[in-house]
Amino acid sequence: MLWKHLPDEIAHHLQDMYDDLRARGVSDEAARRAVAAELDGITFDRPLSDIGGDVRYAFRALRKNVGFAAVVVLTLALGIGANAAIFSVVNAVVLRPLPYRDADRLVVIRDNLPASGLRDIVISAVEYLDYRARNHVFDEMAAYDTTAFNLTGRGEPERLDGAVTTASLLPILGASPALGRAFDETDNQAGRDRVALLSHALWQRRFAGDPRVVGTLITLEGRGVEVIGVMPPSFRFPDDSVELWMPIAFDADLVSENNRGSRSYTALGRLKPGVTIAQAQADMNAVTGTLVRDYREQYRGGFSTTVRGLQTDIVGDTGRGLFVLLGAVGVVLLIACANIANLLLVRAHGRRKEVAIRTALGANRARIVRQLLTESLVLAAIGGGCGLLVAVWGLDLLVAIAPADTPRLTEISLDRRVITFTAAVSMITGVFFGLAPALHAARVDLNETLKEGGRTPGSGGRHRARRLLVAAEVAMALVLLVAAGLLINSFARVQDVAPGFDASHLLTLRIAPPPATYSFAKSQQFFDELFERLRARPGIEGVGAVNALPFSGSGGDRTFYLEGRLNPRPEEKPDEQVRFASAGYFAAMKIPVRRGREFTARDSQDAPQVAIVNEALARKYWPDDDPIGKRLTFSRQDVKWYQIVGVAGNLKHRSLEIADVPEVYVPVAQPLFAGPSPRPMFLVVRTAGDPMTAAAEVREVVASIDPNQPVSNIRSMEQRIGASLGSRRFTMLLIGVFAALALVLASIGIYGVVAYTVRERSHEIGVRLALGAQPRNVVAMLVGQGMTLASGGAAAGIVLAVALTRVMTGLLFGVSATDPATFAVITAGLALVAIIACYLPARRATAVNPVTALRNE
Amino acid sequence: MQHIKQMLDRELKKGSAELLILSLVEDQPRHGYDLSKLIEARSDGVLKFRVASLYPLLYRLEKRGWIQGRWIEKARQRRRRYYRLTPTGAQVLKSQRSTWREFAQAINRITGIEPA
Repeated sequence: MLWKHLPDEIAHHLQDMYDDLRARGVSDEAARRAVAAELDGITFDRPLSDIGGDVRYAFRALRKNVGFAAVVVLTLALGIGANAAIFSVVNAVVLRPLPYRDADRLVVIRDNLPASGLRDIVISAVEYLDYRARNHVFDEMAAYDTTAFNLTGRGEPERLDGAVTTASLLPILGASPALGRAFDETDNQAGRDRVALLSHALWQRRFAGDPRVVGTLITLEGRGVEVIGVMPPSFRFPDDSVELWMPIAFDADLVSENNRGSRSYTALGRLKPGVTIAQAQADMNAVTGTLVRDYREQYRGGFSTTVRGLQTDIVGDTGRGLFVLLGAVGVVLLIACANIANLLLVRAHGRRKEVAIRTALGANRARIVRQLLTESLVLAAIGGGCGLLVAVWGLDLLVAIAPADTPRLTEISLDRRVITFTAAVSMITGVFFGLAPALHAARVDLNETLKEGGRTPGSGGRHRARRLLVAAEVAMALVLLVAAGLLINSFARVQDVAPGFDASHLLTLRIAPPPATYSFAKSQQFFDELFERLRARPGIEGVGAVNALPFSGSGGDRTFYLEGRLNPRPEEKPDEQVRFASAGYFAAMKIPVRRGREFTARDSQDAPQVAIVNEALARKYWPDDDPIGKRLTFSRQDVKWYQIVGVAGNLKHRSLEIADVPEVYVPVAQPLFAGPSPRPMFLVVRTAGDPMTAAAEVREVVASIDPNQPVSNIRSMEQRIGASLGSRRFTMLLIGVFAALALVLASIGIYGVVAYTVRERSHEIGVRLALGAQPRNVVAMLVGQGMTLASGGAAAGIVLAVALTRVMTGLLFGVSATDPATFAVITAGLALVAIIACYLPARRATAVNPVTALRNE
Repeated sequence: MQHIKQMLDRELKKGSAELLILSLVEDQPRHGYDLSKLIEARSDGVLKFRVASLYPLLYRLEKRGWIQGRWIEKARQRRRRYYRLTPTGAQVLKSQRSTWREFAQAINRITGIEPA
């Protein structure tokens, strides 16, 4: 039997035909061709044919309509690819376990001091030792602090980001050096702490990967430090920037009771097996309870800790923004599905004769649905495969535009989980866009269809389905557009916030004279000399320095006392941000001095102490009084009065979005306490031209004074402010792109429905035109019908958007999640696009020649 | 001329397919291939039924109870499904014949074509 897969009867028929042709002398090949032609391209399945057959058939069916398949695959590749790319980021940042041993057992312990309003702050060395000795829930604990070291003595001096840690850190993380040895407990003893572990990157970059580096002495902060090992390339802790680890030296001063409140370490614990975070929290509550009893004076304002998973601690708020993005890109895929389902509904209509014949030939409805669904799944699988390629490409782009402070950015990659996710999304997508059209197609009325012989008015159900799909698309697109509108609106408002100084033409960089080679006085001489030489250069209009530069991420608060109020109640004790600034800092930054004067060279160590406060501080402490002439001190034991000589304007320090905080400025030349050490400073240089081109000049001048003094963290102020908006810009950009995609897809959907209506009703339109209807009335009718659809969708979209944009409240600035103006502008914009999408196909209806339309009937 | 022939073919087949099948199985049971050959031969090739239209039609007629198919094996021949006219089918055929005749006569009177 030649055609053994066909129902017997038809197979016999074809065999008879073949035999007849052969008997008449037709060649075997010609006879087979004739028989194949008889089949007219229709394949007949047995009711229980295998999946492989279904897939082969699906491929054949798609090959017959390459254009259709290409449009669907392209749409899917973009939709699925975008989802896979965003999911890769979510996966790497939020879902994938940290690259440490038993990462789910690692927790971070932070202090809370409710009386000072401080939550989640670092702990002191003394507290670390207490926690470690008194807890019952951790196998082991470690403490670390990030810091920076000047590396000198070999080539160009460089400031390296590093960390100081307890020896227990590496065992807790399950890490060990690739070369050399790890820290041991003795390295944490005072005087034995001059050892360092290098990151793989630093080893490659500065030591050319030389294995003999272990055992050599390098100069860090002006002291000789022995390199004891090199970490493996994959090791990162606590973040990507850290290139060097040194032990914390637990000297007598650090662990003295005086320093119980000197908090600078983050504590890490490894939970004992089976212990939950809640149990650990309960145990730590008991520990802090005993500490409050034992050290009543220090903890009188209340004291507790927060125990949190390390992963949660690292990811922080980033997760929420990412999930909003994942939701948005998911909506784009949903809209794409709706468009494809629409295409399939049209196609199902065109294929109803084929379906009818197959039904007549014994295929039941389930069989037909299965076959059509297989086609959708084949499309989805191809789309998903191409989507992965899109994701590979998109991921590079995403990482490139992602804000630099995104945690775990370097870990982003396409792993098995992303591939599984993509495969699952593809299959779900296939069922999603394929099922309804398949069910619809399989509901063909056999007799009607076969009798019709070709064209009919479409069935009401299919039309309803298509219109519903398009309305849903419009609704979803509107939600995304509103979300994008709110974010763009927020971004514009944030950008409009004045920082309180002139950020243009401002070069900033960090200089930290090492205490080993610089006394405080010598560091002051160094900066004086530097300022003098820089001011002499053409193109440099102003120079100053401050310890905590706005938008540098640095800052710090201190307690102080006002004259006449030396014994405030604990909750009223002034504790505000304190900055140390050089003479000329306010002029260089162009921070307005509202009253009084700014620091000058005369405010030296021997001169009377002075201070400048900002307007927020003045308003807070002297609401009805002039602060000029008022005095404050930073110590009640060793009272040294700082007289306020100026009131400066408020400025944004951490971000443009945070309200102005009270600040006190003290001349860096007038240290608060005796025996000061040199202070790392940010240099600000106001330039006539592009600030970044002045960087080389500043380096050169620094090297001419001290060739061993590195400069680091070189940025223009505009770059710093830009970076502070990075995460906002990233979210806005992506949601914007997704919303634009959604809008395009939805307008294609509207266009498609109207165009199809025009085609199906060409007869009716022809009659109307023949009977004298004005073309513009016909266009108006069609546009009106399309717009009814769009407005229905838009109305649903507004309701949805009001409900859904609430999740974005934390991402907005200066606009409410239901901002009427944004809603109005977006809805109007969408309506305009919808009108165009309706008008273009509708206009074609008027080109219908009444005679042709009628003859076609 | 070609497209006119095609159109004629399609229109006539649509209206007359049932009548043709019923007529052909009136005097003796026939199988599908036999039917398709007879239609083509007796119409001198003007009418031609392909598998894709013939069998759905046969199944439909069978479902309506106008014809009945049965598998028959004859010596030295393939097993074949033969269709015979049922009594209901005979009545339908009778009424369709008269309808057709009236229709044809009406057309002839209008167009001036002599009855065959």
